[in-house]
Amino acid sequence: MKKYWKGLEQLKVQSDIVDKLEQNEFVEEIPVEKSEDKNSSRRDFLKYLGFSTTAAAIAGCEGPVIKSVPYVVQPEQIIPGVANYYATAIADGNDFRSILVKTREGRPIKIQNNKDAKSFNCSNARVNASVLDLYDTYRLQGPKVDGNYVSWDDFNNQIKGNLENLINDNKRIVLLTQTQCSPTTKLILDKFLSKYSNIEHIEYDAISSSSALDAFENIYGIRALADYDFSKAETIVSVDADFLSDWQGGSYSSGWSKTRVPNAGNNNSMSYHIQFESNMTLSGANADNRVPANPSELKKILAHIYSRLSGQPVNGSLNPNLDKYVDLSVKKLKSSGTKSVLISGIDDVNAQEMVLMINDFLNSDVIDIESPRFIRNGRNSELLKMMEDLKSGKISGMITSGINPGYSLPESEEFLKIFKNLEFTLSFSMKEDETSRVAKFLGASSHYLESWGDYEFKTGHYYLAQPTIRPLFDTKQFQDVILSLIGSDTNFYDEIKSNWKNNILSSGKTWGKSLQDGFFYDYSQNKLSIRRKRININSPFAERSNEFSLVLYPKVGMGDGQRASNAWLQEFPDPITRVTWDNYITLSISDAKKLKLKNYNVANGALNGSYAKITSNSKEIIAPVIIQPGQAPGTIGLSFGYGKKYGMSDEMKVGINAFNLYNDFNKIQKVNISKVKGDHEFACIQLHNTMMGRDEVIKETTLEIFNTKDKSYWNPTVMVSKNHIETKVTSPEVDIWRDFDRSIGHHFNLSIDLNSCNGCGACVIACTAENNVPVVGKEEVRRSRDMHWIRIDRYYSSEDTIQEDIKKAEEAKGFRKYKSTLNALEQAAENPQVVFQPIACMHCNHAPCETVCPVAATSHGRQGQNQMAYNRCVGTRYCANNCPYKVRRFNWFSYADNDEFDYNLNNPLGKMVLNPDVTVRSRGVMEKCTLCIQKTQKVILDAKRDGRKVTDKDWQTACSDACSDGAMVFGDVNDKESEISKVREGDRTYRVLESLGTKPNVIYQTKIRNNINI
Amino acid sequence: MSKNNLHVLFDDDDILLDAIKKIKEKKYHINEVYTPFPIHGLDKVLGLKPTRISILAFIYGCIGFTVAVLMMNYIMIDDWPQNIGGKPSFSFIENMPAFVPIMFEMTVFFAAHLMVLTFYMRSKLWPFKKAENPNPLTTDNMFLIDMESGDNLNKMKVFLKKTGAVSIEVIERDDNEK
Amino acid sequence: MSSHYEASIRKPLIEGDKSYHDITVDIARPIETPPNKDWWIAFSIALIAFLWGVGCIIYTIGTGIGSWGLNKTVGWAWDITNFVWWVGIAHAGTLISAVLLLFRQKWRMGINRSAEAMTIFAVIQAGLFPIIHMGRPWLAYWMFPLPNQFGSLWVNFNSPLLWDIFAISTYLTVSLVFWWTGLLPDFAMIRDRAVKPFQKKIYSLVSFGWTGRAKDWQRFEEVSLVLAGLATPLVLSVHSIVSMDFATSVIPGWHTTIFPPYFVAGAIFSGFAMVQTLLIIMRKVSRLESYITLQHIELMNIIIMITGSIVGCAYITELFIAWYSGVEYEQYAFLNRATGPYWWAYFFMMTCNVVSPQIMWFKKLRTSIIVSFIISIVVNIGMWFERFVIIVTSLHRDFLPSSWTMFSPTFIDIGIFIGSIGFFLLLFLLYARSFPVIAQAEVKSILKSSGENYKKSRDSHE
Repeated sequence: MKKYWKGLEQLKVQSDIVDKLEQNEFVEEIPVEKSEDKNSSRRDFLKYLGFSTTAAAIAGCEGPVIKSVPYVVQPEQIIPGVANYYATAIADGNDFRSILVKTREGRPIKIQNNKDAKSFNCSNARVNASVLDLYDTYRLQGPKVDGNYVSWDDFNNQIKGNLENLINDNKRIVLLTQTQCSPTTKLILDKFLSKYSNIEHIEYDAISSSSALDAFENIYGIRALADYDFSKAETIVSVDADFLSDWQGGSYSSGWSKTRVPNAGNNNSMSYHIQFESNMTLSGANADNRVPANPSELKKILAHIYSRLSGQPVNGSLNPNLDKYVDLSVKKLKSSGTKSVLISGIDDVNAQEMVLMINDFLNSDVIDIESPRFIRNGRNSELLKMMEDLKSGKISGMITSGINPGYSLPESEEFLKIFKNLEFTLSFSMKEDETSRVAKFLGASSHYLESWGDYEFKTGHYYLAQPTIRPLFDTKQFQDVILSLIGSDTNFYDEIKSNWKNNILSSGKTWGKSLQDGFFYDYSQNKLSIRRKRININSPFAERSNEFSLVLYPKVGMGDGQRASNAWLQEFPDPITRVTWDNYITLSISDAKKLKLKNYNVANGALNGSYAKITSNSKEIIAPVIIQPGQAPGTIGLSFGYGKKYGMSDEMKVGINAFNLYNDFNKIQKVNISKVKGDHEFACIQLHNTMMGRDEVIKETTLEIFNTKDKSYWNPTVMVSKNHIETKVTSPEVDIWRDFDRSIGHHFNLSIDLNSCNGCGACVIACTAENNVPVVGKEEVRRSRDMHWIRIDRYYSSEDTIQEDIKKAEEAKGFRKYKSTLNALEQAAENPQVVFQPIACMHCNHAPCETVCPVAATSHGRQGQNQMAYNRCVGTRYCANNCPYKVRRFNWFSYADNDEFDYNLNNPLGKMVLNPDVTVRSRGVMEKCTLCIQKTQKVILDAKRDGRKVTDKDWQTACSDACSDGAMVFGDVNDKESEISKVREGDRTYRVLESLGTKPNVIYQTKIRNNINI
Repeated sequence: MSKNNLHVLFDDDDILLDAIKKIKEKKYHINEVYTPFPIHGLDKVLGLKPTRISILAFIYGCIGFTVAVLMMNYIMIDDWPQNIGGKPSFSFIENMPAFVPIMFEMTVFFAAHLMVLTFYMRSKLWPFKKAENPNPLTTDNMFLIDMESGDNLNKMKVFLKKTGAVSIEVIERDDNEK
Repeated sequence: MSSHYEASIRKPLIEGDKSYHDITVDIARPIETPPNKDWWIAFSIALIAFLWGVGCIIYTIGTGIGSWGLNKTVGWAWDITNFVWWVGIAHAGTLISAVLLLFRQKWRMGINRSAEAMTIFAVIQAGLFPIIHMGRPWLAYWMFPLPNQFGSLWVNFNSPLLWDIFAISTYLTVSLVFWWTGLLPDFAMIRDRAVKPFQKKIYSLVSFGWTGRAKDWQRFEEVSLVLAGLATPLVLSVHSIVSMDFATSVIPGWHTTIFPPYFVAGAIFSGFAMVQTLLIIMRKVSRLESYITLQHIELMNIIIMITGSIVGCAYITELFIAWYSGVEYEQYAFLNRATGPYWWAYFFMMTCNVVSPQIMWFKKLRTSIIVSFIISIVVNIGMWFERFVIIVTSLHRDFLPSSWTMFSPTFIDIGIFIGSIGFFLLLFLLYARSFPVIAQAEVKSILKSSGENYKKSRDSHE
């Protein structure tokens, strides 16, 4: 073996330096604090790190951040050009996840899944985008009193003073915070509350899970949410529970997807998932059978299932159509026994109790009551009482943290009126939002990437959050201020550390290791004693009236709206409607017809929609309408999270605030709807909703056929005609020329599984973050100029199923029939089948885009990528025209440093999120997915440096890495052992538009449906 | 005995042609004929050799073709063969069909331009070149024969008049002065 | 008189009692007399349109192609539509002077000069669009195979767009020399008539010192013949190559082998229409009725009618093949073309290009100047829509329905198009005042055979 001299030291026979170097895996220390040493290196590291980045940030405030700021003290852990990763956790009251943070030169630039974590490990689009909020120009720069910046000491003293006065004349103060599932925070707050006896702590979830919490408490004695492991499920009956996005905190999709892929491992079986719901949700779109029903019916359905399982009689009958499906569900639940589960999102204690009891009858393995979730804790009654007390003046002071009740409370206006005039108001916030802007004391709190934290998301599942950057501004985290208020000289970090060492850590796992992992699991939890409770299932059901039921829901992109000033999320197309930059009323096709509400396309294709007014006891809002196939007739959908007015730029102030209608924290509201004048301009990136019966776009079949018939029946190899002889498109026969030799070196393929992909869109944001994809704004999206490198196409069936569409199209012979059929196929069905298809550049081996470029700016790489040389591109757009998949994106304007596009690329702070490995494209050039060549090259070079072979698991693209559902497999097909090679050989493999002979390197896995027709 | 040049003007192309025939019979020497438009058969009666410019054009065309082939072979195959849409950049012949259009264009380009250039050079036509036609009317409606006078000028004038000349002008040769 | 014999049944190509000198005077008149009011009006309108176009182009280059109506799905629309339209128009000139010369069609001599002028001006417009439609037009020179400092960075000879670059530049330059060579004797004529010293200077400069020696004429005719021989396949190749921009692609509605002949026919069609439009005006304004006669107009109309019908056949064939191919994308593309959101464009195209020329079957109509004029305009509108239909309706709904959208132009798109028309007219108006608009040398050479008076006298002799 060749030996390279690293230095003279090696000449010595015995050199401890050489030995040390050979022993140590890493030349530099990993920033992990060694167990008990006093001078903690990682704190110092953070100091240096902090200094340099704040310096950068400050420099940023005057000039371009490109102006390099040299490290005064080069922190040993930072090697310019090499990324550091830190495990931490996000717990913003809505999203609770364990994550990895990628930092470059001390800047956090990307959020990734913490794959080692056992739970809460699938980040959604919002979590992925949360890094951008760190660099929001609207963040508070420091603490304020009456609108003036003050020092923290001054700030704390003033608060102390105020609190003293209030406690002396014994005035009530409410501490209103997000759900605190942090053990240490709880400790601190206990001390705080005992010191200030007049303060009462209320936890508040903007989107309430109170009913589910109450139910669980009633039955199992602790206030928590049951957890579920859908990977064990064989039958999933969901009654209005959108568990694939945000139901009860989400993070269930990875489990769900595990049972959705029929393969040798599970002897070609897959779970059965039936969804009863009103809105078209992500879960409904992915269900095998989806049954639209309005809320009152939903509760009946639940009751009937309950009675049929328990034998308890129920009064009131169902309409026959629903009854069929109830029977089916019951049959399935029974047959799957312990492998079945029923879940529900109905905001009703009684209903939630039924759910728990049903799963108890079933003795379901899927539901996990031993270790329930603590990520929601709000109690509606408490909050309603608080509002009463506020109105009746019983409360004279209020402290808020991490929440924005002035926006998210149903009675936000009244709240703000009272809040303004309270004697003492203190609010911890990152922005001057609706609430904090009127608070007397404004505590500038840190972004979670600048903060410490510890959480018990569920019993025994502990997570640690650590700063990945020193606070960019003069901000503190809520806990540190509380500590100083109770006169402790420690800071939150010390508290966490001691608390963990004394109370949490056990079984020999060190603090340092836990910090590095970001989690600690303690399975020694004693079982909960179950207090079975007879449930009265005849509690009055809201009977169907001629009013509409408004069903409020959190949007995948926006959640409870605390990230509304995040440009990535604003431009993130909703997986179902594919509308960006807006929320809207969703209405069933038939209702829209009745009410004469229209959606139509204007001359440049952009989507317009009528406005409608919805009124619910004395409140009324006017919102644009999207006609939503699959929406249950008689129901209206409207999403939370929009219509914020403060702490964000004008571009972001879109949509309408649905919290105004969130009366009694019930997502179901009785409303009246009527058409009003005027049309709304939507920015929708998919203007055509059906697949027009084109069978080469998405291939799908049913589980039955998949298991009984041969591949050639349900996924035949595409045949093309050569000299009038049908020839396999895969055979070299059909090529005009000899092919290039692709057997040497790496050859990358990406496989996308249409069964496990549920369209959540985490990949879209991950790609945006990784590849510096610009945000172009509502107007440009409206002009069909979105820049996303990966998009998730969503198709509705026009008949009942997509298969029928294809059949119908094939049978349309003769001009008249053909014309009428295809016109009909443009319209989606009332309750369509839905399919999601992520589309990025296909990296065709015979790429149509490459041949037409006059300046050879795009050509094929040796590793199979279709490459763009941005600085060679002259921008003829011929490649984009000739791309059958329309994945190429053109820089119509310069999107960086352009006041017309005032998003994160237009300010030095926002630019700190840029990935230095990827260029920001200039105006007039074409861009598109690169298969994250910067990542693959990194892997190759690292392997080369370390003199080892690249291992299969090293290969990742941003999208495949972000996909927690295993829908995306990326790797080297020249490595016959790799997972991708195996997947590629599988029967389900097909390529989009294969008959064109483009030979794509992105392959798809045929969708298998498990739908049951009755 | 001094020899002078005569500029004989005619106002009709047919008369001009007959006149030239007659003059040729008399073995007078014609230096040059200026006409406002091409007259068919004029070159024959004057006994001019047919021009070989079209042969040149063919050769130029061949050059253009060769240049095209060499250029594209160098650029696409030799210098930097890239994988462009899977096209066989490793073999000129296999990739050739894509090159045909440009081969043709280059052929035409070279043939046309080089031929015209040759024509301009041989006929002394280029910008700022002074016009040499002795009488401006020859671009309008007059036809002029520039010939050497015989020994007997008057006899000649009579003869030319008979052929239909409109006017006859005697140009003193400058060598007579010496 | 044998050399000048022509059957007396053939209609004279030059009307009225003309002598060689009369021709000279007639051709020189527009140049030697100052322009009248109408000319100035026309000129200023053209100038305004031109300046507007320049403004729009500057704006585009300043802000980006985003100022046009294009989007991620429709990457080309008015820009390339205009490009193909202008190239098509350009073809008539070369065809008239080259092809008709090869076929010894003497009637061409009345119109070839202006037709060629139109060719060159149209190619200039055409050439404009591929450059300004680029995202980074300042790098347009990268289109040429230049050795460069970026290492061995070459162009891609597989790209039809590059073929275009070569075809268009060859076409422009070759037509230019062809035209100029033909102009030399006529410039010389004007030079020798000129009285103003400045005028004399200019024309002696552009006439390259032409004198009209017997040998020069011999070469002149040879060169014209060979150039015609070269220009004929060239003109056919140019529009074939332009059509390959689409024909070699994969987009349904573009991916069609019929395109080359179909585009060439269309080009002749629109080109002759444009020549018609211009000459009908010019013969009136410059009083050249005796050289551009009703017979010319009629013959042109016949060609328009024939090419129009050829184009019509092509349209029908497309539809048939789409159905016959059995390819679902192809079938839908054409269904969408005819009945989709852009049906009206298809309708315009069909009526203007296929239906309207059919009225030329009636001698009464095809010999009516006003009818010819209107039809010539209609045809050019129709041909513009043809290109729009091919480009936009094919792109806006291709393979994946998820990316289907529509296109609508911005005022910039429109401004640039108007500007190019203004620029074209501007050039033509200037030409009409400063160039010999009829190849007088050639016309003189056929005066005796085809002049009305000579025919008469000859008939009376026999």
